[in-house]
Amino acid sequence: MLSKIGNVDRRIIYVLLCAVIAIALIKPVGLAIKVSAETKKVYDAIDRLPPGSIVWLGFEFDAGGIPELMPAARAIIRHGFQKDIRFVCGGMWTMAGDMATMAFDAVKKDFPDKQYGVDWVNIGYRPGNTIWLDQMIKDAAAASAGVDSYGNPLADLPLMQEFTGIKDAKMMIIFVTGTPGTPEYIKTVSTPYGIPLAVSTISVEVPGTMPYINSGQVLGGVLGMKGAAEYEVLVNKPGSAVAGMDAQSFAHALIILFIILGNIGYILEKKNSVAK
Amino acid sequence: MKKELPIALGLVAGLIWIITTYFTGPRWVETVHQELSKWYQLAGAYMVMVGVVNLTRVHGHRITQKKKDWMYSIVALVCMFGIMIFGIFIAKDSNNPGWKTFYSQIIAPMNATVYSTLVFYIASAAYRAFRIRNSQATILLVSALIMMLGRVPLGAMISPVIPQLADWILNVPNVAGMRGIQIGAAFGGIATALRVLVGIERGYMGGTE
Repeated sequence: MLSKIGNVDRRIIYVLLCAVIAIALIKPVGLAIKVSAETKKVYDAIDRLPPGSIVWLGFEFDAGGIPELMPAARAIIRHGFQKDIRFVCGGMWTMAGDMATMAFDAVKKDFPDKQYGVDWVNIGYRPGNTIWLDQMIKDAAAASAGVDSYGNPLADLPLMQEFTGIKDAKMMIIFVTGTPGTPEYIKTVSTPYGIPLAVSTISVEVPGTMPYINSGQVLGGVLGMKGAAEYEVLVNKPGSAVAGMDAQSFAHALIILFIILGNIGYILEKKNSVAK
Repeated sequence: MKKELPIALGLVAGLIWIITTYFTGPRWVETVHQELSKWYQLAGAYMVMVGVVNLTRVHGHRITQKKKDWMYSIVALVCMFGIMIFGIFIAKDSNNPGWKTFYSQIIAPMNATVYSTLVFYIASAAYRAFRIRNSQATILLVSALIMMLGRVPLGAMISPVIPQLADWILNVPNVAGMRGIQIGAAFGGIATALRVLVGIERGYMGGTE
C-alpha cells in the first residue's frame, strides 16, 4: 500500500498544485524577500545614470514571458522615471511593441508629467534579427522604416532628435525568454560598442545567463520572478512578482513533498521486490 | 557549373561578411556591410514565400492522402492563408486594429496558456524522474532540491545556508558546465560555417553532403 505513494496519479498532483498556487495568490502571506547581488547591480547601474540619460529597452519576449518579465519591466521603468531617465524600446520578437506598450501603460499613470515621444519612444517589433540590431546601432530611423510602433514618424518625436541609434544609449536593459536574446546583444552591440548591458530573464534562462554575468559581459541580472520581486522591493512598489513569490514558494514546497513521497515509495517497492 | 556557382557565391559573400564584420577601416567596408545587411533582409523576405509554397505542398499532400491527423493540416492552411488574405485585402495598414486583435486576443492568450501549463508537466515529471536510483541521480536530486528551495523566500526562512548553496551551484558548477557547452557550440558553429564556405557542407543546395 505504502509503495503506491511512488505512483500518484498525475491529475492529483495537478489539482493540488493548482490549489496551492491559487490560494497563495489570493491570500499571500508576504514571505520576506532578500535582494540578490545580481539585481542590486542593475539597480545601482540605473541609479548612477545622470538624469536625462537615454536607456535602450529590448523587449525580447512574447506573452509566455509576461508573468516573470512584465513585473521586472514595470519596476525598471518606474525606477528610471523616478531618476528622470528616458527610454527608447523595441525588439526582435513579434510582440515587442505590444509588450512595451503594456509595460509603459501600467507605469505612466503614476507619472503624469512623463510624455510619449519626450520621455519614451516605442519603436516596436522589426524583422531581421541581429541584422536589424546591427542597423539600429547607428541609424534607428533607417532600420525602423522611419516610424514607431504606432505609425508616428520618428522625425516628429523630440526624443528621437537625441537618439540616432543604440550607440547613443548610456545603457541597455533587455527582457529575454530565449533566442534572439542575450548572446545577440553581446556580440552585436555591447562588446563591439562598449555599451553596458543588463538582462532580465525568465527562470529557465538563468543558468545560461550566469556565464555572461560572471564574465562581466552582462553587468547584472534581474533573474526570474525572484529578481522581479527583488526589484519591486527596491523601488518600494510591491506588485505581482512579490505576490508570485509566495505562490512559487509553496508550489516548490509541494513539488519537493511529492519528490520525497516518490522516493519513499521507490525505496519500499525496491525492498518488497528484494524480499520476494 | 550548377554546383560550383552557388559554392563560389557562398564563399565570396561569406568572406565579405566576415571581413566587414571583424575589420573596420575604409568607408567602403562599412558601406558593403550595410548593403549586405539589406540583401539579407530581402533574402529573408523572399524565403517566407518559399516557406509558404513548401508548407502548402506538405500539408496539401497530407490532406489529399488523408494521412494521420490530416484535419490539423486543414487548420494550419486555413490559418496561414486566412491571415495572408486578411493582411493583403482587409488590413493593409500595419496599424490596423485587426492585427492588435489577432495578437492580443488570439496569439497572446494561446501563447500564455501553452507556457503556463508547463508548470504542471514539470511538477509531474519531477515527481517521477527524481529518484535515488544511483549516485548520479542522487546528486541531481539533491541539487534540484537545493535550487528549488534556494531560489524562493521559503528556502531562506528554513536556513540562510540554502540560498548560499543555491548561489554556489548556479555560479560554480553551472557556469563551468554552461561555459563548456557554449564554447563547444561556438567552435561547432565556426567549423560548420567553414565547411559551408568551402563547399564541404552542401545541405543548402538540397544535397546531403
